[in-house]
Amino acid sequence: MDYAYYPGCSLTGSARKLDKGVRRIFKMLGHTLKEIPDWNCCGAFEFGDRKDLVKLSGENLRKAQGVASEVVAPCPACSRNLKEANEDDNLKVYNPLDLFSKDFLSGLVMKRDLKGQVFTPYYGCVLFRPKETAIPNPNVMEEFVTALGADVAGEKMKDRCCGGAQFFINKGNTEKLSRMILDQSKGTILLFCPLCQMALKTFSINEKIVYFSDLILYVTGEENKL
Amino acid sequence: MNKKDHDTVFKHTGYKREDFSVCLGCKICASVCTANDLALNVNPQDILISLFMGEEVNADHALLRNCTNCYRCTYACPWNIRIPEVIRAVREGLAIESEFEKAFKGSLRIWGRVYEPYIFLKVGTLLVKEGYLKYMTKWTEYMSFHLPHKVKGLKSLNSSSGLNGSKGRP
Repeated sequence: MDYAYYPGCSLTGSARKLDKGVRRIFKMLGHTLKEIPDWNCCGAFEFGDRKDLVKLSGENLRKAQGVASEVVAPCPACSRNLKEANEDDNLKVYNPLDLFSKDFLSGLVMKRDLKGQVFTPYYGCVLFRPKETAIPNPNVMEEFVTALGADVAGEKMKDRCCGGAQFFINKGNTEKLSRMILDQSKGTILLFCPLCQMALKTFSINEKIVYFSDLILYVTGEENKL
Repeated sequence: MNKKDHDTVFKHTGYKREDFSVCLGCKICASVCTANDLALNVNPQDILISLFMGEEVNADHALLRNCTNCYRCTYACPWNIRIPEVIRAVREGLAIESEFEKAFKGSLRIWGRVYEPYIFLKVGTLLVKEGYLKYMTKWTEYMSFHLPHKVKGLKSLNSSSGLNGSKGRP
């Protein structure tokens, strides 16, 4: 199947790894991600006027017309903004975690299991809130790792805020909130949001933090190291 | 922010003054607010009530500088009020803008995208002053460099998204 692909700004820089991982997973599943030509910023969290956000993201949806009828945007802030701008429902907008059901991923051949390993799936805010744009399965990462024999920890912290949006505004806030999450985690932290990744990684001590997409590449034998 | 400036908030959020009449003080927003994990002792409801009553919104309200946009308040609110969006609109009405936000919008004006090296350059003084430099080695583990891409039709994009003019106080 063809999807229109919206990488968004961070996936061209600080979250390049997430971009590469998502592209590889979709390719392995036989799907084609067609990058939306000349896409612009979705507006992230930085606008006081909701209409400005809708205009910026709406412009991307306009550019996606004719590329494919379903749009994939890996960054949770981008997929949220695109979903909100999709007012007339002309297109379907997804974060990859909207799609990563057991059925959707059944085309992957697992070459490793995760027996004896512990993971803390961490979703953060934007994948769960607001309700209107939330992912449909709040346990998508848990189901994936437990099916491969791993144990899951940190349930209470999975939807707490890391303070990522305050990273360059009130560093102390982000540090305290991120440390609360890191302190309650066990084993490897799995996440999907570039902002959460930056916040948690910055304030981590020895904690291992990886994108969920990296884990998929690891268990399918596409990568040898997690 | 006085009553006259409240119109900016209503215009930006799409809410009407009477929409906040439903806020009866259950304080569920305060009970879940992430800012209270930071011991800031804030009540988001104060802002909604001030807007509803046409009273001055205190520019020093801690949420205006500490809201993390987590939407836990909205999720818990019986009326699903999007308080983070109200706070963002109040910030804009009061012309509260961090160095980062200025750099972010500056990048959009130039390229139509966020170009991270530009942001780092623009907030360079802040990075040094606030002690961010010690984290640089961690950032270099996963950051990758690329040249900026300039989006076509930038003039019209900037003008339609309010990036050309000064927004905020009417």
